[in-house]
Amino acid sequence: MSTKVTINRLATGVPGLDEVLGGGLPEFSFNMIAGPPGCGKTTLAHQMMFALATPERPALFFTVLGEPPLKMLRYQQQFDFFDSEVINQSIRYVNLADDTLAGNLDEVLRRIVSEVEAHSPSLVFVDSFRSVVLASQTQDNPNNNLPQFVQQLGMLMTTWQATTFLIGEYFTETDTNPIFTVADGLIWLRQSVERNSMVRKMEIMKMRGQPTLPGLHTFRIATSGIKVFAPAPLNPIEAPLEFPIKRLKMGVPQLDEMLGGGLPRGYSLLVAGPSGSGKSILAATFLAEGARNGETGVIAVFEQRPNHSQNATLAGLIQTGQVGLVDSRAPDLSIDEIVQLLLSEISRLKATRVVIDSLSGFELALAPTFREDFRESLSRMVTALTGAGVSVLMTSELEDRYTDLRFSPYGTAFLTDAIIVQRYIEVQSRLLRIMAVVKVRASAHSDELRLYRIDDNGLQIGEMLPDQEGLLGGRPTRRLSKDRV
Amino acid sequence: MSTLSEESRQIVASLAQSVGPNADTARIAQAIVSTLQDMTAALTPIIGQQGVVALYRRSLHLCASNHPRLAGTYDSVQTALDLIALNSVLVEQSEVDALFFGEVLLTTFYELLTTLIGPSLTARLLRGVWEPSLSDTPSQENSP
Repeated sequence: MSTKVTINRLATGVPGLDEVLGGGLPEFSFNMIAGPPGCGKTTLAHQMMFALATPERPALFFTVLGEPPLKMLRYQQQFDFFDSEVINQSIRYVNLADDTLAGNLDEVLRRIVSEVEAHSPSLVFVDSFRSVVLASQTQDNPNNNLPQFVQQLGMLMTTWQATTFLIGEYFTETDTNPIFTVADGLIWLRQSVERNSMVRKMEIMKMRGQPTLPGLHTFRIATSGIKVFAPAPLNPIEAPLEFPIKRLKMGVPQLDEMLGGGLPRGYSLLVAGPSGSGKSILAATFLAEGARNGETGVIAVFEQRPNHSQNATLAGLIQTGQVGLVDSRAPDLSIDEIVQLLLSEISRLKATRVVIDSLSGFELALAPTFREDFRESLSRMVTALTGAGVSVLMTSELEDRYTDLRFSPYGTAFLTDAIIVQRYIEVQSRLLRIMAVVKVRASAHSDELRLYRIDDNGLQIGEMLPDQEGLLGGRPTRRLSKDRV
Repeated sequence: MSTLSEESRQIVASLAQSVGPNADTARIAQAIVSTLQDMTAALTPIIGQQGVVALYRRSLHLCASNHPRLAGTYDSVQTALDLIALNSVLVEQSEVDALFFGEVLLTTFYELLTTLIGPSLTARLLRGVWEPSLSDTPSQENSP
């Protein structure tokens, strides 16, 4: 039997936060929630408090100078988690404004201690701690010793078995601040503004004894409260490819042949082509074929007016619930938010086929602050989705270029397991379409450039054009007849 | 007078009950002051002394502007939450006026808080004032 102390971890009740914290909040820890005004510190504190406080594990919320408690109560009750009934029972508010105004830290500490001793809370919040500090500094009081005060407070709270949060307005994390040293946990909230877009980000700068997820994590504040978008956990052991490879039908028999018998299950497929080449139709056919075989699918649409671009087959599948629609028109999306939307829809429908239509729209839907990292983001999304075991079809708008052969505007072709490219060509004063399978990882596939057309029944793949050459240049020429002999 | 909310009716009824029949102004004044003391005691720990004083002053102001006949009384008590001063002003009034002033002041205070933090939280915070038996903490001894 282990004789080491076991640190209990509390579930914060904030979606995604426990993952980011590395498994929840360590019990009896002494934490700081820091950030500039308006970044959601008080809301985060309240959401955790309402989730964690029970009659057996009550909470004390000390309000100091700063936001008047009346206003705080007025605004916080707009959130769904706020429950008036538990106030004065499992949650108590204590106003320390008068004590703080006097500027005597010893007196503030005495008040906090006496309230803590009177109520034996398991959770203690001090909002805003910054004002305690400022009040102590403006007073000409030589007895005030902030490091000592913080040290004592931290020790007292832990010995009283209280999990504590100090909430404070700080603008730079480089502030030399005794609190940052003493605190077990340091949660920074930020608002990143770029042009017209604003994205909220959270960083766990410190959480003793916990494998926190590093970096900035986006979050949103809605009426349900704060929701953190933790990156999707990576499956460390990816299932090895099974042989023979199980393949999915695309809904276009000739295309299945070209792919070597269909798309291997769990693959990501990039369909690249110019505007109007039929990428979305192929994507809808892919989902419809799944539905025909009793599979469910999810489609993420990133268009300004998704209903207008939807074809009838797809609309029908969405209506019957065989295909889930992820259509987030929320501004300033982050990759983790989109991945989370997709994954939750995939697990809800137990979906096996996923379509992202299109990457160009997806890039536009991302907040500008994430666009620089688009390739990394895309790579993470593909990994997260294929890691969930689904097969993914992504469409990519491709400007027709006849001087070079490219498959995606993002240099992301290497990210996907399979690539289909579509092209326009000019033959005898007609605009014809050709399609080719460029890549299917670990599988034989056709190398043919095949004509295809789109009619009421969808995509119809035709013949090659053996008597033409230079097709990829867009303006093929007829081969000389002597070559054909 | 505008139609009273359910809570305001309860406040008025409760005040009438604690005053009792045929009470003199001293008794009425004491009942009003005592209720205000209970409200103050319930709110001060949460919103602070200054918050309560601000609510009290705003309530007095609203009373006077909604009921011009109370304006004179209002003028004489508009100091910081000084319940002794309030008491001494109230005992100068007739029984009817004192009771009316108390009803208006208490209901206005309650309604004001409701507009700020909503009916359910207001009821929750002030539950102990009008329902001592249901309160989770013993009601404080506030009588002078």
